[in-house]
Amino acid sequence: MSKGNGMMRALKCRECGRQYPLEALHVCDFDFGPLEVVYDYERIQGVMTRDLIVSRPQTMWRYRELLPVVDDPTVGFEVGFTPLIKADRLAERLGVRELWVKNDTVNYPSLSFKDRVVSVALSRSRELGFDTVACASTGNLANSVAANAAAAGLKAYVFIPADLEQGKVLNSLVYQPQVIGIQGHYDQVNRLCAEIAGKYGWAFVNVNMRPYYAEGSKSMGFEIVEQLGWRVPQHTVIPMASGSLLTKIHKSYRELSDLGLVEASGWRIHGAQAGGCSPISQAQKAGLDFFKPVKPETIAKSLAIGTPADGFYALRVMKDTGGAADDVTDDEIREGIKLLAECEGIFAETAGGVTVGVAKKLIASGKISAEDSAVLCVTGHGLKTLDAVQGCVGKAREIKPSLREFESALTGDGQLTR
Amino acid sequence: MATTSSRKRVPKKTVKKAAKKAAGQDKVERRRLWLMYPSRLIKEPVVWKLGVKFELIPNVRQASVTDELGIVCLELSGRREKLKAAVAWLEKQGIRVDPVEINVMES
Ligand SMILES: Cc1ncc(COP(=O)(O)O)c(C=O)c1O
Repeated sequence: MSKGNGMMRALKCRECGRQYPLEALHVCDFDFGPLEVVYDYERIQGVMTRDLIVSRPQTMWRYRELLPVVDDPTVGFEVGFTPLIKADRLAERLGVRELWVKNDTVNYPSLSFKDRVVSVALSRSRELGFDTVACASTGNLANSVAANAAAAGLKAYVFIPADLEQGKVLNSLVYQPQVIGIQGHYDQVNRLCAEIAGKYGWAFVNVNMRPYYAEGSKSMGFEIVEQLGWRVPQHTVIPMASGSLLTKIHKSYRELSDLGLVEASGWRIHGAQAGGCSPISQAQKAGLDFFKPVKPETIAKSLAIGTPADGFYALRVMKDTGGAADDVTDDEIREGIKLLAECEGIFAETAGGVTVGVAKKLIASGKISAEDSAVLCVTGHGLKTLDAVQGCVGKAREIKPSLREFESALTGDGQLTR
Repeated sequence: MATTSSRKRVPKKTVKKAAKKAAGQDKVERRRLWLMYPSRLIKEPVVWKLGVKFELIPNVRQASVTDELGIVCLELSGRREKLKAAVAWLEKQGIRVDPVEINVMES
């Protein structure tokens, strides 16, 4: 393969296998199947060693041979390598031998795992000669594109539904991209954005750049393996919206194992959704290999995708690895957020509550054995969804400035009553 | 690139006329869509009606029809106004219409 493509070989249709050049393309001309990046694994095997990886800075780019860029990344050098926490207190509460939390609530710079996909998409966009990037998003993706584009000096367009809450809009506006609110129903907004993406010569991160963008999620899996001491976890619990993150974490384990960088072992990939938007988990539980589209109705807005683009592939990964899926109610999501905060000092957004809640169910039902070890992927910070926990975490107790008042507020066991 | 080719497909003699009109009204465009229809509509010749009612050229690229759900991936070519009207009609029938990209709007 030409040196000009780095370690990438081509784009390839996931349905029919036809190959395409490494451009800003995302669907196959024949069957409209999604395109995926394929690599020259033989060459990668020749250069990528554990020693090389470990010698590099602690960011997601230490696995760059397996990420879809040719040259050094130009956007988001600091992204990734978030902590993997041994969550002993949570393990005890959930009744499992060993539990780890991959804490992407502190991903740089915008506090969600989206910084991984966006830094790849924007770096690749630059390589392909784009100077304008765009996305359509209600939250995490918009924040990440706006922040990373600002830092890289790229022009950015962010499309949002016109009725989005002010707080969320501010989180993107502060970086000064062009923010455009579109009136109308979700479906109309979605179709218009697809039209805009098709018509303008911009790098739309999750449309024409999607094959590259999606690969960024693999870095979360690479890091988990390295941080576990070069071991693939027995169980990984992953929140699902489109289902892309789940399929890419599986791909990351497979790549490391195929390259001989980690011992081949069985791993199970489990998916987590909110009950109010659970097309993938409903299909998994019913043993189907397709899903029925739903209308989302949940506090877990970051996972509210009723027609998941990678749902079919996510179902296949769970089936192939012997994993399972489940879903939780809004109350269980809040409980999950509180449990993670209380046990591990990590404040996650609603997607994290979904992951913890589903892990609890999978452990209780024995789908994750009490004797096993599991990793929970916690993908976004709680400050992003403060509304979700408003009113269910108690209140501060007010007292007059007197010691007597303070002491009368203490109960017999030395705790403040609430 | 497939996604920008619609601009090249405008017949030359209509270019001037189109420029006078509101942007793009008269152009022949292509739209790639997933249609998902419920069981009650599975026996309806939806794709044929699209062609007849709206003077569109439908080209089926993928399809999966079970007794519960019909999923068809179509490329539709035709005039912009007709395409818009066709999408509105499909939705009125109870058919869900997504771009092939499906979730352009992400969280
Ligand atoms: C915080 C968070 N977690 C998880 C996801 C799920 O991502 P995917 O669409 O790859 O399934 C999203 C998607 O927007 C998200 O914002």
